[in-house]
Amino acid sequence: MTAMDFEYAIKKDVRNNPIVREVDEARQRQLWRSMVIGLFLVVVLLFSAWQHFELLRHGYQIERMQQERAAEEDVNRHLRLEIETLRAPRRIEKIATEQLHLVAPSREQAIVIERVTPAAPPEKSVVAAR
Amino acid sequence: MAHQPDASTRFGLPWRFPRIGRASVQQVARREPAGPLQWRDRVHSRLVVCAALFAFWTAGIEARLVYLQVVNHADLTARAERQQTRTVVPPAKRGEIFDRHGRLLAYSVDADTIAADPSEIEDPDSVATSICNVLDGCTTDRRADMAKKLRRRGAFVYVARQVSPAEARKVKDLSLPGITLLKESRRYYPKAELASHVLGYVGLDNVGLGGIESAYDSQIRGKDGKVLIQTDAKRHALFSRVERPATAGADIELTIDQYLQYIAERELRAGVAENHAAGGTAMIMDPGTGEILALANWPTFNPNAFTRADDDARRNRAIQDLYEPGSTFKIVTASAALENHVITPETPIETSPGFITFGPRIIHDTHQYGLLSFTDVIVKSSNVGAIKVGLRLGPQLLGQYVDRFGFGQTLAPDFRGETPGIVWSPDRLDASALASVSMGYQVGVTPLQMATAVSSIANGGHLIEPRVVRAILKDGKRAEVAHKVLRNTISSETAATLTTIMEQVVERGTAKAAQIPGYTIAGKTGTAAKLVNGRYQKSDYNASFVGFIPSRKPALTILVVIDSPHGNGYTGGAVSAPVFKRIAEAALTYLGIGPTLNAPPPVLIARHDATDAPPPITRTSTRSIVAAAEPATSGLMPDLRGLSARDALRVLSRIGLTARMNGDGFVISQAPEPGAVLVSGDTCDLRLGRRPPVGLDAGGAQE
Repeated sequence: MTAMDFEYAIKKDVRNNPIVREVDEARQRQLWRSMVIGLFLVVVLLFSAWQHFELLRHGYQIERMQQERAAEEDVNRHLRLEIETLRAPRRIEKIATEQLHLVAPSREQAIVIERVTPAAPPEKSVVAAR
Repeated sequence: MAHQPDASTRFGLPWRFPRIGRASVQQVARREPAGPLQWRDRVHSRLVVCAALFAFWTAGIEARLVYLQVVNHADLTARAERQQTRTVVPPAKRGEIFDRHGRLLAYSVDADTIAADPSEIEDPDSVATSICNVLDGCTTDRRADMAKKLRRRGAFVYVARQVSPAEARKVKDLSLPGITLLKESRRYYPKAELASHVLGYVGLDNVGLGGIESAYDSQIRGKDGKVLIQTDAKRHALFSRVERPATAGADIELTIDQYLQYIAERELRAGVAENHAAGGTAMIMDPGTGEILALANWPTFNPNAFTRADDDARRNRAIQDLYEPGSTFKIVTASAALENHVITPETPIETSPGFITFGPRIIHDTHQYGLLSFTDVIVKSSNVGAIKVGLRLGPQLLGQYVDRFGFGQTLAPDFRGETPGIVWSPDRLDASALASVSMGYQVGVTPLQMATAVSSIANGGHLIEPRVVRAILKDGKRAEVAHKVLRNTISSETAATLTTIMEQVVERGTAKAAQIPGYTIAGKTGTAAKLVNGRYQKSDYNASFVGFIPSRKPALTILVVIDSPHGNGYTGGAVSAPVFKRIAEAALTYLGIGPTLNAPPPVLIARHDATDAPPPITRTSTRSIVAAAEPATSGLMPDLRGLSARDALRVLSRIGLTARMNGDGFVISQAPEPGAVLVSGDTCDLRLGRRPPVGLDAGGAQE
């Protein structure tokens, strides 16, 4: 074969458009299967990553809320302490006597109130009838 | 044969395929006579070398992995945990301390502590200066001390512990490298000095160092928790796992009444000031139960800053200080004499010529009384008379009663460091010593012992263990401390006789200053020279008064001891009796105890709707003072709200109902509702809470 022949052989316009390649159904199915499996794996991967990041996010959130709760409880305890400090008898007496100019009642001014025992109650039947 | 271009030529490739044909093979064979597949051996040997190297490499890696994962497993796991996790120890909340009405006396809150990692601090002096500038009252010495701490080698030092929130905020704003803020539990006493000697105080390490805080430390302290925190690369908390939750300590409910305590402290302080005294003790006790309602000492201290107080101020004189009681001890002599019928109240005793001698020792009366009845010996507090009675009793009998009344032994389990006192063995008492003991000398007693002894006369002859803890509250349950009768001291008849004599001490004797119009008071004064370096002082005395009120139905035993008064006299009648009176007056008013002599008609207030349905509970309800008795109406459900569980049960059992209770404390709500028609054998559901409902102060119903 000469060089010309070789060149011709290469440059020969081969028209094979009419040739229709037959669809290989089995391979097609396999391809789809592979794609679905691949997609599933990607979704699983993304889901697990999402879960992981959500877990982290919620972890931070829980820790922050726990800290906030502890801080609020601390404030609550401080406020209770302040209330009890303000209730000290010495402080109250000082305000009463020095600022409000109140005086402690004398023995004669203090009246002992005694509780009353009522008279014998009526019969149950009487009460029930009423 | 035409020249056949090889493939490389045909495809125009820059390189050429080796021409492998018979001729070329022959040429190779000629060059390498050892064999045509010799190269294979060479490649094989090279491959073997590579494989061996690869095997060594993998073996090395495997060995390293084995070393790291097996041999060094524990160490590396621990290192990883150290890097990835942080262990936090949440401090246990120390239990709270309340008075008998649930008013808070001791409380813990978290405080900030400034700590440092010295290895991260480059200039300790400037850091110490910066911190010192924002701390209140930081002195030059303290700053130097801080700088010294920051220069130390080590990973952790405390710079300033338990600083105020404002100071902590300022330090945080400084953002100093190596300086961190930690949370520590700090004890606070919101009422400051109130009942400080009873409560005690707590050190920086949350350990009780005095009073109830120390005696009940193991129960109040609780148990620290453990939390594992997983951190990220920036050491931010990511997840936490509670390994062991912090267990709060038990709450303590005291027998102390905050208001009575305040009265006792106020009047004691006034009494000490007006008599220019060195100190004093005042105590209020319920003689029927042995509960200490108030225990005051002067000087006192603020437990919030206990380090600034000296030992003298921190000492609980009521249980730690011994004093010679003087004439108040004649009560013991009189008890022994009356109980053993050695003497009667009317027995005449000659006290002339106003003194008695024991060898070189002469014991005087303040006046020459002449012939006195035994009652008057006590009323006028005649030493000679008491000595003569004591001599008739003899050392054994007197010693027996000294022991019965609890002298020479510790009585209160709620206090640590209680002094048992000094009591001589009867075998060692000669006539002179017996004379001394008969009038309250040569015995060392504590104010607590004296108050307990007099309470036993007030309650008819039972020596009751003095208590300051009323209940312990843990896990929502309230364990009440039971009253304990230690022994019987005297018969109720002797107690009644002695009470009559003691009433006359106040009525016409040495304690007239203790009189309160309308009330009968039984008491005894005492004045004892202080013993300093083995010699009795002529200028320093212990002036005391102890009594109970109302004497015929005692509600309170009150003891006042003033140490070294130098103002308006030095006797118990002049110094301590007025303090007793002021305390008793305020306490009686507070407790609503009406006069017992020539009492005005009581103001009776009947509940308007006693037979109607109960009114709605409002904050302005006056039901705390106006209440119906149980049951409000027969056949109707009584109002139990505000009653204690015990009282409510008592009422229900009386009307034939069974109770089903939920909770502890006071009745908050009930079913059936008050006023509902009852059916015999019905069950009443009671919901209980620790505090009575607002507007209902202990009792919709009364017994």
